[in-house]
Amino acid sequence: MVANLAWRLFKHEARRGELTIILFAIILSVAAVLSLSLFSERLQGALVERSSQFIAADSQLRSRKPISDEWMRQAEAEGLATAEQVSTRSMAFGEQKMSLVDLRAVSPQYPLKGEIQLADKPFGTTTATDKLPAAGEIWIDSRLFQLLDVEIGETVYIGDGEFTVGQVLSEIPDQGFSVFNTDPMVLIALEDLARTNITGPGSRVTYKAYFTGEDSLIEAYYDWLRPNLDDELHRWQRVGDDESAIGRSIARAERYFLLASLLAIVLAAVAIAVAAQRYSQRHFDPVAIFKTLGATKQMIRRVYVLQILFITVLGIIIGIVAGVIIQQLVVTALAGQVDVSLDVWHWRPLFIAVLTGSICAILFSLYPLLRLFSVPPLRVLRRDMDAGLSSRGLQFGASGGAIFLLMWVYSRDLEISAILFGSGVLLVVALLGVTFGLIAIGRRLGQGAMGVWQLAWARIRRRAMDNSVQLISFSVTIMLLLVVLVMRNDMIAQWRAQLPVDTPNYFMANITEAQKTPLENHFAENQVTVDEFYPVVRGRFVAVNDERVNTEVTKEEDPEQSEGRRGLGREANLSWSDKLQRENTVVQGQWHENWEPAGNDLTAEGQQVYPVSVEEGVAQRLNIALDDLLTFNVGSEIVVTRVTSIREVNWQTMQPNFFFVLHPAAMQEFSATYITSFHLDGARKADITALMQPFSSVTLFDVDARINQVREIIDQVSLAVEFILVLVLIAGSLVLFAQVQASMDERQQELAILRTLGARGSLIRFSVINEFLIIGTVAGLMAAMANEVSLYLLQSRIFDMQGSMHFEYWIIAPLVGALVVGVLGGIGCYRLLRLNTGQLLRKMV
Amino acid sequence: MTNQNDNSSHMIQTKDITKTVSTSEGSLQILQPISFEVKAGESIAIVGASGSGKSTLLSLLAGLDEVSSGEIFLDAAPLHTMDEEQRARLRGEKVGFIFQSFMLVQSLTAIENVMLPAEIAGLADAHKRAQAILEQVGLSHRAHHYPNQLSGGEQQRVAIARAFIGQPKILFADEPTGNLDAANSVRVEDLLFNLNREIGTTLVLVTHDNELAKKCERQLQMQAGELTEITVSPAAAENKDLAYGS
Repeated sequence: MVANLAWRLFKHEARRGELTIILFAIILSVAAVLSLSLFSERLQGALVERSSQFIAADSQLRSRKPISDEWMRQAEAEGLATAEQVSTRSMAFGEQKMSLVDLRAVSPQYPLKGEIQLADKPFGTTTATDKLPAAGEIWIDSRLFQLLDVEIGETVYIGDGEFTVGQVLSEIPDQGFSVFNTDPMVLIALEDLARTNITGPGSRVTYKAYFTGEDSLIEAYYDWLRPNLDDELHRWQRVGDDESAIGRSIARAERYFLLASLLAIVLAAVAIAVAAQRYSQRHFDPVAIFKTLGATKQMIRRVYVLQILFITVLGIIIGIVAGVIIQQLVVTALAGQVDVSLDVWHWRPLFIAVLTGSICAILFSLYPLLRLFSVPPLRVLRRDMDAGLSSRGLQFGASGGAIFLLMWVYSRDLEISAILFGSGVLLVVALLGVTFGLIAIGRRLGQGAMGVWQLAWARIRRRAMDNSVQLISFSVTIMLLLVVLVMRNDMIAQWRAQLPVDTPNYFMANITEAQKTPLENHFAENQVTVDEFYPVVRGRFVAVNDERVNTEVTKEEDPEQSEGRRGLGREANLSWSDKLQRENTVVQGQWHENWEPAGNDLTAEGQQVYPVSVEEGVAQRLNIALDDLLTFNVGSEIVVTRVTSIREVNWQTMQPNFFFVLHPAAMQEFSATYITSFHLDGARKADITALMQPFSSVTLFDVDARINQVREIIDQVSLAVEFILVLVLIAGSLVLFAQVQASMDERQQELAILRTLGARGSLIRFSVINEFLIIGTVAGLMAAMANEVSLYLLQSRIFDMQGSMHFEYWIIAPLVGALVVGVLGGIGCYRLLRLNTGQLLRKMV
Repeated sequence: MTNQNDNSSHMIQTKDITKTVSTSEGSLQILQPISFEVKAGESIAIVGASGSGKSTLLSLLAGLDEVSSGEIFLDAAPLHTMDEEQRARLRGEKVGFIFQSFMLVQSLTAIENVMLPAEIAGLADAHKRAQAILEQVGLSHRAHHYPNQLSGGEQQRVAIARAFIGQPKILFADEPTGNLDAANSVRVEDLLFNLNREIGTTLVLVTHDNELAKKCERQLQMQAGELTEITVSPAAAENKDLAYGS
């Protein structure tokens, strides 16, 4: 019987549009969460796939000792695909000439991800290949053809091995990039490595094992492997561990998707709360009637719980369908720009969406329902009798708890949930204070003749609590939209700044002092601007204060020694300048531009101590503090320096950066080589040979392909971020609309009375619009302020960005808030005023 | 008025019931001690000016509200000792209601509104009963209309059908014709009294309308929370006897 009644109520109410708003809110929450998270999971999958190409696998194990066969067998037994690479530096010999090379010997499965690029001729056009050097074959870098004076088909010797040059090697997926790593690369088959006899004791060899497979399999394998790993020798790297520009961009984008989806959940929850409140209010009379006619509380409880259940189930089903369609539309719209595969289906988004819909519907309707159950039967006689339950604390508690729970379940990240939730709570508390403050001010303003403004203020004042709830929901909505919008702007701006259009795509090293000016002139004649020249000298890092820094050789012998000073090779690239480099910031001490040699800073041997600036990360790793004495061995000379500043370096820029920058005075005695970079338009690629021709001893690095790859990924991510922003904006606008609609219903009675009393339509309309304008302005302003707090916390703690203020939104947000809320209110009001007074009065019954 | 021995024949019995409400200026007694009885099958009208306490009295008699002191028996059941749930059950079993503002559930059709009490009472033939009674009030052709598609008179007839579907022992009507025009008022009144006669329901109605009040066997005059006068309307009593006799 109860189920029957509940079903009938549901059916009729659904047909008559009574459930539209609450149903819509649930559909919105489910659809938004599903489409956002499904899309972002698919996109993340695609991006991870892309970035896995940079480590040639899903995971990589680097080791300084040969990797045990047992480990590889275990990986294969666990269902992972594996490959291996052994790399070392060695001398390669042509018939006449020789050169130091970066030798890579790879197993037949290499690379598991990404492609090897070959050129048709030295410095020529590149194409991808799926082949590898055959036994006895060697593929060599463009530069080596010149350095060794060899041609394709000729012989190159490495150690005891003899190889035939087979191809011009342009790039391998995980070659890494360093301007200091100046040795040209050669590629041979792993089976040929033994023949060379170059990997004996004392040689510096890096062994890499590559793994691909399902995440869970890799995790399981890593769990098995971890106890066998030694931090000194091994390094396990996953795609996500990538500290490069791409890695960071992707990590940031992932967090953004997470944030956007979280906000979509909150928006949906707000919508449901608003709708449930309204739903409950509309059912006060039926509940009083049921009670009068003899229905027990239990019966009523069952009727309404069933109703909510019907609504929730229907909402979830429609929401899922809508979510999948939206997501499909987005992916279709992005086809060709973002390679997101539709074939993979992810269950987690579906699970989260259903959970969101259910939790939102149940927890947010809890308080309104409890209120509903407490409506006294006497309401049938005394229409002003309200529900007996009025504890807002319970309502806020239940809603807040539900939101936090959802955020946490969804993000699995306590910090990001706490930041968003905390700033939301702050906003709510501040808003409650402000509302009552404004209402108090309004009491003064609202006195006097009944004009448009007075009527608006009077209305705001009269419904202080209702309005504060409304104000809170408007503000929270606007704040969330601001967070998503501003975050996206900042993020994309930073990405763009990282790789401006004229980002250098070529680097030059080994430029001598004498070549500097002719090179600059020659390039200028060819309309190519050369960046700054940075001097470089190879130095050996000897000591910090009186403590000797261990070299790699001794480290292996006694790993216990000098715990804190590990991790840096004994060789360091030293640069000097009295000008602070771009994208470098002094975080401690003072930059040494005004340093003058002084007689009082001398070593015990009477040697001058020069200032040095140390990069923050290396200072931390080597436990170096301001005022420490660092000793370097350059050539045969000893240079003693004092740390006068510690710098933060933006490693995401494509420019040479240095761990140690000395004062030029320290380096006067040494002859340096220089490195620099330049940008050459893609269309002029063919000019490069002519450009470099007079400077054959200068080493050239072509990073154009790499930069394009980074740029492409960043463009894709930006595009995806834009789409997500649009989705959230749509969700937010719908929520705002629902809120205005809900509050319009509350105003119906008053409009009817004013109308009956003969108030002109324009008076009513403008007073309502003004009321919404006031609410919109205050909500926008409060949202802008709360936005600053949450953005600062998010950027500095979660997004690894510099927090910044956004004062422009302090003006934009109130204006847009007033405009949007005012217009929506105006539309709602216009709709009501089109009805005649009789219809209006009837709607009230 | 009546002796204690016969209280089994009393449908309503009140003893010194009062109602006190708390206001911002302290507590306010809105009903002075009131005692009276209503016989089974009798019709009474509670009359008085606005604010005289007649609706409050009705709410106490119907168990919609609790007395502050005194005793109320409804068909011998001690309302004053019952909690809200017990009173709800009692209303479901024995009481019917008609209100000035009809109080129909807007999202249910006419027939579904009529079925409500029977459904709440768990009667299996709710639909059949509702059809029959809608027929009786002349609205079977409007059975599937929603309240806002019906005129005021029609809505009140639906409310009457709903009140009588469970064949209640007692019917409370609060200004049943207050929102209706003259023609509809007459129709509703006739319906009310006919059903009262046919089913033998005790009728308690609150009204401003003296003509309507006079159709009841007795009128209880309320003034400033006090029951000041009980008058008997001979014509109404006669009518009733005639009806019973016929």
